[in-house]
Amino acid sequence: MLKVALIGNPNTGKTSVFNHLTGLNQQVGNYPGITVEKKIGYCKLTRHHKAKIIDLPGTYSLNASSLDESIVIELLMNKNDEDFPDVAIVVSDVENLKRNLLLFTQIKELEIPTILVINMSDRMKRKGISIDIPVLEKELNTKIALVSSRTKDGIEGIKTLLQDYKNISSDACLDTSKIDVEYFDRLKKAFPNQSLYKLWLVITQDVNFGKVDKKPMEDATSFSFATKTNSELKKLQQKETIVRYKFINDTLKKGYLVDKSKARDLRSILDRILTHKVFGYVIFFGILLLIFQAIFDWSSVPMDFIDSSFASLGDWVRNTFPAGVFTDLLVNGIIAGLGGIVIFIPQIAFLFLFISVLEESGYMSRVVFLMDRIMRRFGLSGKSIVPLISGTACAIPAIMATRNIESWKERLITILVTPFTTCSARLPVYAILIALVIPDQRILGVFNAQGLTLMFLYLLGFAAAIISAYILNKVLKIKSKSYFVIEMPNYKLPMFKNVFINVFEKTKAFLVDAGKIILAISIVLWFLASYGPGEKFNNAENIVKTEVVNQEISSLELDDKIASYKLEHSYIGIVGKTIEPIIRPLGYDWKIGIALVTSFAAREVFVGTLATIYSVGSAGEEEETIKQKMAAEVYPNGKKVFTLASGISLLLFYAFAMQCMATLAIVKKETNSWKWPMIQLFGMTAIAYITALISFQLFK
Amino acid sequence: MINTQEILVYIAVLLAVFFLVKKYFYKPKKTTKSCGNDSCGCH
Repeated sequence: MLKVALIGNPNTGKTSVFNHLTGLNQQVGNYPGITVEKKIGYCKLTRHHKAKIIDLPGTYSLNASSLDESIVIELLMNKNDEDFPDVAIVVSDVENLKRNLLLFTQIKELEIPTILVINMSDRMKRKGISIDIPVLEKELNTKIALVSSRTKDGIEGIKTLLQDYKNISSDACLDTSKIDVEYFDRLKKAFPNQSLYKLWLVITQDVNFGKVDKKPMEDATSFSFATKTNSELKKLQQKETIVRYKFINDTLKKGYLVDKSKARDLRSILDRILTHKVFGYVIFFGILLLIFQAIFDWSSVPMDFIDSSFASLGDWVRNTFPAGVFTDLLVNGIIAGLGGIVIFIPQIAFLFLFISVLEESGYMSRVVFLMDRIMRRFGLSGKSIVPLISGTACAIPAIMATRNIESWKERLITILVTPFTTCSARLPVYAILIALVIPDQRILGVFNAQGLTLMFLYLLGFAAAIISAYILNKVLKIKSKSYFVIEMPNYKLPMFKNVFINVFEKTKAFLVDAGKIILAISIVLWFLASYGPGEKFNNAENIVKTEVVNQEISSLELDDKIASYKLEHSYIGIVGKTIEPIIRPLGYDWKIGIALVTSFAAREVFVGTLATIYSVGSAGEEEETIKQKMAAEVYPNGKKVFTLASGISLLLFYAFAMQCMATLAIVKKETNSWKWPMIQLFGMTAIAYITALISFQLFK
Repeated sequence: MINTQEILVYIAVLLAVFFLVKKYFYKPKKTTKSCGNDSCGCH
């Protein structure tokens, strides 16, 4: 009876082919001594001829890495085994032919007549695949059966080939000895009657060839150890794999064509739309618009709730605890500072939600592919889009993500421009300023002006990154090669468990990690604002009373004047006053100046700082939110501090200014020098200053 | 005479300053190159 071994990679439909060939004529047992299943079936080829088919465990190659795979090699190496095949059938999958052919080329070298079955042919049309069978048969030195185990097409063709198995070549399709001609020559001379490739497998595989004729194999092993070290053998194995894949690539170029424009499956249709050279970008920007719109619209309710809750908490503490400096610290330092951070959790959570959904669905890698065309013109790689988008969360991991950019120049440029993208720490700054100075109106009845402004700022940061990259690409004289390789995963429904975990972790990190710094800085700020040097601070009450002795003002207004005078002459007031001449042309007063300085520790500190300073600077006991306090803030001449001009100036300053101290530290680490972070710091600060200056002077 | 609330304030301020100095000026030696638990100083 003809003995047939059915071999192939896992998931090629090998068992389906086995079932079609054998029907119910099957026996299932175990290989002796182990728990791996042994399946044997019988196939009627003609009225008088049957074949015994053994379904071997799925294996990726003859370089065995598991018990299952060892069984395949053991059988194919041992001619004395009762199941040793007269003919081998290697089952492959039409969509993964390249990977499946590795095993095929190895089986061919064992000098066993081998048939190649290309399964899942029903998917060819949908995937735009076409195969030239005669060309592949010639290149691979075999006979090919094109089969669909789903529709049963081609199964009879396998039976026809099996009947004629003696005409199937048992010659190899490539010569492995080329990987080290001298070594294999010596091996041939030492063992002239043995198959070279079998000897090679014995030498390199950690398999128990218990049933194989031991003597020549032991001699081969000891021969090899005398001539090659273990690491040299490993290198030769790697070279063998490379040579095989080169042969496979060359072969498939001749007889296997994939035409994406003809593909009809859902993934291909979606890819054609989402990576279209015009609509791809339109869709991407449409999605971005939707995201930023949702961030503003959906977050307003929880944000208002959090804002008023913290204001109420402060009021409760003031009324409950005994009056004194520590109660003041609790209300105006800690609660005010923390409230300025917690309020932005809804917006940050929504932002991370959308980014996670895009990643989980597989769309993000299409964005990378789309953007490569644009990025390349600006000296960036398509892979730069990942740090640039990650930078919307935080610049630190974004800068670290540049490690997978192969070209040093592209990587350096990406590191230098990533801080331009709006990180989540800037979001509180943008959100509060937009809410203060941009009217809450609908444009064209659909778009919210505040949402559009936020989107504009994100796009502005991105545009600044791209333009800077273009300039740096021209200016930096660094030679490097560049290439772009990406594998696009299948589309899938986002696993909401993964999305939820991601949103929770990122929001928690923002709250907990940033929260500790905010808390500490709020305490220090409150102290610096509540204490001061010299007589002017210590005698503030008497000095102010003397100034207003001839004026008729209420006791509340007097208290406010005293609080304001004390703030101006506190430690922090002195710092703010010192830098005020520099920032006055930008439309900022000394209080905003203090917030600019402290926000270099962490950008979100800006809002907490202002919350602390305005709370400390007001003697009023009515419940007010941070936004109300900022809106009510006026100069000594009565003019509002936060106008459209100063608001836009601040927004633009933060859009272009270097991000926090931690960003500076990570750039130093990734570029291994202080040169680049210093260039970044001074360059970005200069751009921010100039832009803020021009915008304030234009809008005031 | 310093009262209880003032003592509490000074303790809170000293703890805050100590935390910030440790965070920004004192970096323990890392045994791995990954961010581990401190987000690479992001916050």
